[in-house]
Amino acid sequence: MLDIKSNKLVIAAAGSGKTTFLVNEALRQREGKVLITTFTQGNEAEIRKKFVELNGCVPSHVTIQTWFSTLLQHGIRPYQGGLYDETIRGMLLVNEPSALRYIIKKTGFKVYYGEADYFSKHYFTDDSKVYSDKISKLVVRCNERSNGAVIERLNKIFTHIFIDEIQDLAGYDLEILKLLLKSKSNILFVGDPRQVTYLTHIERKYDRYKEGRIKEFIQTECRRVSCEIDEDTLNVSHRNNAMICDYSSKLYSQYKPCQSNQHEVTGHDGIYLVRKQDVDLYLQRYNPVQLRDSIRETINKNYKSINFGESKGLTFDRVLIYPTQPFIRWINNNNFELPPTSCSKLYVALTRAKYSVGIIYDYDEATNLEGLQKFFV
Amino acid sequence: MKIKKVKIKNFKCYYGEFVLELSDGMNILVGNNEAGKSTILEAIHLALTGLLNGRQIKNELTQYLFNNTAVTEYLTNLEQGRNPELPYILIEIYLSGGDIELFEGNGNSERAKESGVSLKIAFDEKFQREYEQLVSKDGVKTLPIEYYDLVWSSFARETITPRSIPLNSAMIDSSSNRYQNGSDIYISRIVRENLEPEDIVDISQAHRKMRDNFMSSESIKSINEKIQQSAVLTGKKVELSVELLSKNAWENSLVTYLDAVPFHFVGKGEQCIVKTELALSHKKTKEAAVILVEEPENHLSHTKLNQFISKIAENQQDKQIIISTHSSFVANKLGLSNLILLNDKKAIRLNDLEDDTKSFFQKIAGYDTLRLILCKKAILVEGDSDELVVQKAYMLENDGKLPIQNEIDVISVGTSFLRFLEIAELLNKPVVVVTDNDGDIDAVNRKYSEYLGKNDKANIKICFDNAVDEGSLMIGKNPFNYNTLEPKLLKANKLDKLNAIFGSTYVNDNEMHKFMKSNKTECALKIFETENPIVFPEYILEAIKCWI
Repeated sequence: MLDIKSNKLVIAAAGSGKTTFLVNEALRQREGKVLITTFTQGNEAEIRKKFVELNGCVPSHVTIQTWFSTLLQHGIRPYQGGLYDETIRGMLLVNEPSALRYIIKKTGFKVYYGEADYFSKHYFTDDSKVYSDKISKLVVRCNERSNGAVIERLNKIFTHIFIDEIQDLAGYDLEILKLLLKSKSNILFVGDPRQVTYLTHIERKYDRYKEGRIKEFIQTECRRVSCEIDEDTLNVSHRNNAMICDYSSKLYSQYKPCQSNQHEVTGHDGIYLVRKQDVDLYLQRYNPVQLRDSIRETINKNYKSINFGESKGLTFDRVLIYPTQPFIRWINNNNFELPPTSCSKLYVALTRAKYSVGIIYDYDEATNLEGLQKFFV
Repeated sequence: MKIKKVKIKNFKCYYGEFVLELSDGMNILVGNNEAGKSTILEAIHLALTGLLNGRQIKNELTQYLFNNTAVTEYLTNLEQGRNPELPYILIEIYLSGGDIELFEGNGNSERAKESGVSLKIAFDEKFQREYEQLVSKDGVKTLPIEYYDLVWSSFARETITPRSIPLNSAMIDSSSNRYQNGSDIYISRIVRENLEPEDIVDISQAHRKMRDNFMSSESIKSINEKIQQSAVLTGKKVELSVELLSKNAWENSLVTYLDAVPFHFVGKGEQCIVKTELALSHKKTKEAAVILVEEPENHLSHTKLNQFISKIAENQQDKQIIISTHSSFVANKLGLSNLILLNDKKAIRLNDLEDDTKSFFQKIAGYDTLRLILCKKAILVEGDSDELVVQKAYMLENDGKLPIQNEIDVISVGTSFLRFLEIAELLNKPVVVVTDNDGDIDAVNRKYSEYLGKNDKANIKICFDNAVDEGSLMIGKNPFNYNTLEPKLLKANKLDKLNAIFGSTYVNDNEMHKFMKSNKTECALKIFETENPIVFPEYILEAIKCWI
């Protein structure tokens, strides 16, 4: 990684020490400046913590920033002039397509402010906040308008740009990624395509590559740019034991099965089916963290619980999963095609535990599922 | 990192937009009083530090920072029922060199891809409603400065703080801005900036230790006990201690000494030299520095000034220096090619002049150039005798006042009229040329064709006698030139009058011509000193009347 420009995508398995890897890569850079950008503030804090753990502090050549704040500071503000001359007062997080103009009453059809005719209404609220679903599109526009000055400027500031949680990039984010791959900075991007949860975009651009198809994006849309794809370095889980690794790998047959580096034996290891009537006893005996889809699911309030979505990145000794209907269907038949969101949720849930995963499931004597054990009282 | 350009709008004496391009090394700003030299230095320092006269500007916004004309224009427009835009102050520093990428963007008034810093004092939109109400009630009599806000940002539209600006600016001026304890703000800054982070940690720890020692000393302990016994009102512990609250407590309680004398007790001139020396010797070579020096001649004796200037010239290295002066000595010593002439809120660099004119002025000592630049109006003459005669003529027409008393400088320029006119044209300086016609009107017209007839310039007048006189006198083998100042004086005053003035007894004009030709200066002096009435040739009177 000296003077030659390099691009690298590292596909990481859950619990493989992705953050440690990124931090070590950043610490290895003796010359130049490193930008580490990630989607959630939680993960940003996680990276900072790791720096403190490994290095005592974040060194001065490293900048850690969320993806949105990077786009606002370096993507839009420097070259917004000519497109939008007001001061941008931050970002408005939206969960559905922004800039609604009106709804046709009869049909319920929604009409939006178009970019060509209503530029500022398309991108901004009335108090000059940029909509979160348009922010990366605006970066692309600023870069076009300034003849590439946005990316050039970034190249001059940061010799290395690391992007974490790459699986959450979508729409125009991918266009920015493509521009970066073509640019002078060295790009290292890391993510687990199996853990897509955070949907920032309702954008139709590059629709095909959402749901974590980042590898396909690189191979198809960026085939003219050289980019190494590394599926081995981070394919070893330091968290899950072999049984958990094997079982969770079945969810994504298109990726290499994850290896385990967690060999501790506790006497209750692997994946267990737990009948409803045994739940309280199971909780009492093993004290697992209860994982559920949402607060609508009733759990035993005397034990710790957390939603699938919020458990991302966390490690527990043992978990007990309250499965959704689609989960059950896949457990019954591993050939069942789970919808992408369910698939990634189940993957996240399975890969939280070091030793054991319980799944609430009313088995009978005939039940015989590969990789699963029955919990007997 | 260097400043390549400064843009100032509506700040103090600058009405509208003023642009000054700077070179990487030495920049010498020359101009008359009120030309705006100090304002430029102030503006640069302000945009780089947020400080004006050593204080944070954001707490001290006043109408007086704004250009008077701009404010008056706004108020008049408002009075006349129009809806004028509120004036704003803008200072932009355009940077060049390395390490400036973070400051790059098009967030500048040119919307150009540049790196730099912008400081804007403008109406804050969030007070729009209050302002409208004020206007509708006819309540605006002064600039509504309470609704103004300071926006300090990089060209990448990122809000900045003094710490985030990697360009250190050191202002060396005669004013002294002090902390409460009397130590000079600039000097502490310069000293502090010379320190490495470890040194600063050491100092603050030593300072802390000093406080602990102080607190644990027996006398303080017993005093505190006494206080506690007498302070029974609140039931709380009252004691004497040392202030440690602020982050840089040590800065406020430490004073810089010079040979055992506190810095602020040292003479102004010495202060100036020490500040400059410290700024020049800035250790952190990575951090670029711009040194602003305001009129060093003001508080330095000639020898000290000499010392000061040589120090600057020797130690400048890679630092950018902007120095304002009206001393020709300073300008000369630091190199005329670095000269920036300020006049009428316009800046002209010597580099803008034609190449041969530039090298001409670089060769002659800058003295006369500066005279032309610094005067309000000028009369250009050929030699010393012309100068005396014109002065005399002016005095007679102006109740005995010398031209210089009315800020009119009479400058002898030899044969270099055109070179001076080139500068006058650039500076828009009112100038009259008084010249002989040497018997060839056409030649004179050709020589000054750029300034005569259809090329007439409002600020430049060429005066010469339109009559060509002839005669038979020969000087050696050459015919006598009847068309210079002396024969014209004789023509206007006749022989007897001049004999009376010179105390001579020449019997005919030819004798007088010969005498005057070979004693030009002496004759001119006699004319200058005489009490006798004297008549001046029409073209000289015409020149003088231009400026009355």
